[in-house]
Amino acid sequence: MSHPAPEELLLDYAAGTLAPGPALAVSLHVALDPAAHRMVERLGALGGALVEGETAAPFDEALLQSTLARLDGVAVESRPAPYVPRPGFEWAPEPLARHLADGMRWKRVFGSFEEMRLRLPGEHRVSLLRLEPGRGLPMHRHVGEEFTVVLQGGYTDSTGNYGVGDFAVGPGPEQHEPIADPGEPCIALIVIEKPIVLTGPFGRFLNPLVRRGVI
Amino acid sequence: MLSPDEAADLIEAIAARQDRAAFASLFRHYAPRVKAFIMRGGTDAETAQEVAQEALIMVWRKAASFDRGRASVATWIYTIARNKRIDLARRAGRPAIETEDWLTVFAPEEADADKSVLAGQTYTRVKELLGGLSADQLVVIQKAFFEDKTHTAIAEELKLPLGTVKSRIRLALGRLREALEKEES
Repeated sequence: MSHPAPEELLLDYAAGTLAPGPALAVSLHVALDPAAHRMVERLGALGGALVEGETAAPFDEALLQSTLARLDGVAVESRPAPYVPRPGFEWAPEPLARHLADGMRWKRVFGSFEEMRLRLPGEHRVSLLRLEPGRGLPMHRHVGEEFTVVLQGGYTDSTGNYGVGDFAVGPGPEQHEPIADPGEPCIALIVIEKPIVLTGPFGRFLNPLVRRGVI
Repeated sequence: MLSPDEAADLIEAIAARQDRAAFASLFRHYAPRVKAFIMRGGTDAETAQEVAQEALIMVWRKAASFDRGRASVATWIYTIARNKRIDLARRAGRPAIETEDWLTVFAPEEADADKSVLAGQTYTRVKELLGGLSADQLVVIQKAFFEDKTHTAIAEELKLPLGTVKSRIRLALGRLREALEKEES
């Protein structure tokens, strides 16, 4: 993997402190990048060691008895079946599955790319974007934080080439204009804290619509 | 005390035959530890106890998903307790992620997948490793795990530049990776 997620973000993820949108972005990266997966496992082991190393608080026998009583109404669930992506969403790693509602479909946005907006709690705009090979996103710069994870195909911008599993963090220092690589359409999850600001000739005209969440 | 293998046997007994005695043994060991862990973040005793109880009930429900080849019981329970704490915070007005999303990290995989080296014996190693971190590195790790703070929030609280906090985290995690890779190879 040429573009891993920064480790401080993996720590935030493993400790459970990320907001839902960024947490989804990191979970998809972790699902696709073995090195990130191993690091999150290590951080889980660290958390386990911290719990195991605790001096036990005084034990409350009544709490055990009341918990045992509650188990009557709680079934031991059978082992979950291995994850199978739904047809048409073969590029979707497991953590994305719960966010893909039936009947969701791509919506064309500017003519050059399509979007599927996901509904997550929190203050981020979370979308899947699909770009045909050779097509680009409008020139834009980032205002708030932005996380991108590539799920299919790839794209190239002034900062490099991004393939499946790669993780990009904004805001970058400059405006950038990603172009989808040849081959399959590029599909990526984009998590944006605040609306992006379009800077091309048409972009400026469209910014009010972006701000109002129309597009 | 409960060895990692004994703890894994108990979870497998729950999965195989809904073994309540096994659950009681796990509960006696882990409920007070989870409660103590949760209280470190400033949570009151009553809430921490609720988190511990809910976490252990989740252990009962999900016992069949546990794979001793992929994570130690302590790690698995940490993950569940962490998510229960988040659920509780969500009820108090903060959004959060689903328990299942994170548990997939430790979910059983196909037979040919790499087995995690972190199962079982690493508890001792990780403790040694924490002892080897500098005070500066240890404090950022503890704030993340105990106090539920993002690295950005840690930087604000310690009045440090964000870059300083990031580099401390990267140094600490670098040592963690190095120490564990020695065992992996």
